[in-house]
Amino acid sequence: MNITFSATHVIKRYGGVVALADGNLSVRSGEVLALMGANGSGKSTLSKIITGVVAPDAGQLLLDGQPIRFSSPQMARAHGIAAVYQELSLIPDLTVAENIWLAHEPTRLGRVDTRAITRRTTALLELFRGTIQPGLQPDTAVGDLPPDERQIVEILKTLAWEPRLIILDEATASLDTQQVNRLCELIADWKARDMAIVMVSHRMEEVFRLADRATVLRSGAYVGDVATAETSEAALVQMMIEGGVSPRQATTPNPGAIAVRAELDNIHTRTLHGVSLTINAGEILGLGGLGGQGQPDVLLALFGAIPYRGTISLDGAPVRFRHPHQAMQRRLAYVPGDRGREGLLANRSILENLQLPSWSRYGWFTRMRQAHADGEAVAKTLRLVRDSLRAPASSLSGGNAQKLVLGKWLLRDPNVLLLNDPTKGIDVGAKGEFYRLLTELRNQGVAIVLYSSDDDELLGLCDRVLVMRDGQISATLQGPTLTRTALVSASMSAAQAEVA
Amino acid sequence: MQRTLKRPNFAAWRQQSFVFALILLVLAVAVNVQLQPNFFKPSILSGNLRTYLPLMILAAGQTIVVLAGGIDLSVGATVSLANVVAVQTLGQNPSAGQIGLALLAGLAAGLAAGALNGLCVAYGRLQPIVTTFATSFVIGGAALAIMPSPGGFVPESLSAPYRSNPLAIPMTLWVAAALLGLWALVRQTRYRRYLYAVGSNPLAAYVTGVPVALIRLSSYMLSGLLAACAGIALMLSNSTGDALIGTTMTLDSIVAVVLGGTRLSGGHGGIAGSLIGVFVVGFMRSIISFANVPSWWQTLANSLIILIALAGPGLWALIRRRNV
Repeated sequence: MNITFSATHVIKRYGGVVALADGNLSVRSGEVLALMGANGSGKSTLSKIITGVVAPDAGQLLLDGQPIRFSSPQMARAHGIAAVYQELSLIPDLTVAENIWLAHEPTRLGRVDTRAITRRTTALLELFRGTIQPGLQPDTAVGDLPPDERQIVEILKTLAWEPRLIILDEATASLDTQQVNRLCELIADWKARDMAIVMVSHRMEEVFRLADRATVLRSGAYVGDVATAETSEAALVQMMIEGGVSPRQATTPNPGAIAVRAELDNIHTRTLHGVSLTINAGEILGLGGLGGQGQPDVLLALFGAIPYRGTISLDGAPVRFRHPHQAMQRRLAYVPGDRGREGLLANRSILENLQLPSWSRYGWFTRMRQAHADGEAVAKTLRLVRDSLRAPASSLSGGNAQKLVLGKWLLRDPNVLLLNDPTKGIDVGAKGEFYRLLTELRNQGVAIVLYSSDDDELLGLCDRVLVMRDGQISATLQGPTLTRTALVSASMSAAQAEVA
Repeated sequence: MQRTLKRPNFAAWRQQSFVFALILLVLAVAVNVQLQPNFFKPSILSGNLRTYLPLMILAAGQTIVVLAGGIDLSVGATVSLANVVAVQTLGQNPSAGQIGLALLAGLAAGLAAGALNGLCVAYGRLQPIVTTFATSFVIGGAALAIMPSPGGFVPESLSAPYRSNPLAIPMTLWVAAALLGLWALVRQTRYRRYLYAVGSNPLAAYVTGVPVALIRLSSYMLSGLLAACAGIALMLSNSTGDALIGTTMTLDSIVAVVLGGTRLSGGHGGIAGSLIGVFVVGFMRSIISFANVPSWWQTLANSLIILIALAGPGLWALIRRRNV
């Protein structure tokens, strides 16, 4: 079971872009290592190299003291190294059990031993029992599972390979508090059983709770190693970003007069059960609570993207959008959290992405020069880090890609901005800039509705936070009542009530 | 949290996606019986069924490719190629050894055609539709070069078993049972899981350790092999070789797969449905021939089926949008 693993001076280029300039990492049995860095710092690339998904251009990997080169993920797994991927590696058409044992099915006489598979899968699911629904069984189709349970299946799938070194790449991002706690217990158990664990995480709290040591990368290069017991959150952040963090926006009341922009009255959808709220101009309204309480549906119903029952009024008059197009004409904008799937045309240029909702403004024979100038102006406002507006959107790092998704709506000059967990998986530095942008927009009188899974974000940015539970609003926090304790207890008390 | 998990049983249900094909089958049989009162008379029924046998084998191969996320537009040409290769190798008055050689040569031709497709798609990373459309001309051209005009001779001793009805059950049903039996065996192996995994999400399958390229290659090779079987079946049924015999079968095979509930984007469906789909296609053809309408109605009907199948999920989503 014992393992020592190290990577030294690992380099990886994609075309002209250097994803990893100098990757270094070492980990051994019974140790939890946090791999940290801002987005685009090369964390994902380094973990992909360790697990054999991509081959390094240069550098050395040492496994148990011997140089090694993985040509495929299978080979890495054969040596006991496996990763829980951030982008899910599950097959929606197969069942939970089939997914977990895919490519290493126990067989008897060439036939897949389904009984053994079911038995072992049940045992694995037992690890998370209590935090998952009883309906989650070995024969449930993965396509029918909510994101948190998919993530759990993903973790169990990796565990089924019985790795000596396990890499958790943002594995907690879509889990709720109970599930995170269970995972922490499991990690402690793995550690006690001499596994080596590498965790890639943006959540400082988890890093300090679990990791023994942190390795920090910045812009593809190794910055240093620190023992978590001997450092602080601020010091780590300092290592991760040059020039320090953009400070969180302190909430100052908006000087402008507050006018009601939109009103939702008793809205029902599949996940909402009677939600009423008002959205004010020049205000950032936060939607909080545990994941999966129906928050995104508030935004989608308002944007006309899903059917609903109830009344929505805009500027005092009732409206009923049947298609996002109609909502856009009334100057609503929706920024999805899933950048890859909903937000961007990855292989089209940055300019095309920016202008996609706005082309009609440039006439039948597109006035490209004007479009380009407007695009440049927005890119400047966004402080978009890019080569040129003609570069494909896929060349941007996560944080910049998210700015682009926001930017394409800014060109349309929206007055209601709906944000669906926009900073998920973005690093601290990029978040700071994103917050600055939102605050500017708010001060210009834009009404902003922000659903976020990050409590700090809600606390630091919002004028008012609605905590949601079971498709209803369970608490409204504002001014002096908007505190971490209030937020956590409003979302947690519900969860505890359910457990009881 | 009350996210009701409603679907564990659905998963099993959705595997039975050929329910729709079964309904169509019953309808088609009913209309056939109306038009042709002696439809169920054994000699007529087995004669009818026999004409579906080659398509059945072909559709089984097409299903495997579609399940793995591809499509094979060259199956018709492969049928022709295997057909003429086998007939040419037979020659006049063949010995037993030569018969064996002819069958092997036909199968090898099919396997080679499948390997050509598979190598281009799996390792050359070319688009399946474009690739197999292009190779269909290569393969079809080769068939024409081998036998420019229909001809050849097949000894009676070889084609007689094909026309027989062992145990009074039509040969077609025996072959159907054999195909289903083989598929049932495959379903118990890793291969079937790999097939569905590759068709459903190739990237996820790759990072999990599934040999994606190999699975794709093998799906096309199986399809080529089965197309060759279909070509040999046609040789036995017609007692001649014809380099254009498979041309119209490609569309039919895809229609059968679609009707059988296999998703064209891959990862979902199965061979049982496709076999039912073949019968639906066949019975529709006899309806059209009995209804005294031009034969291009069949092509029209086939194309509409594919269009509806492609549009179906979108239409369904549109309908469901209306209600909360």
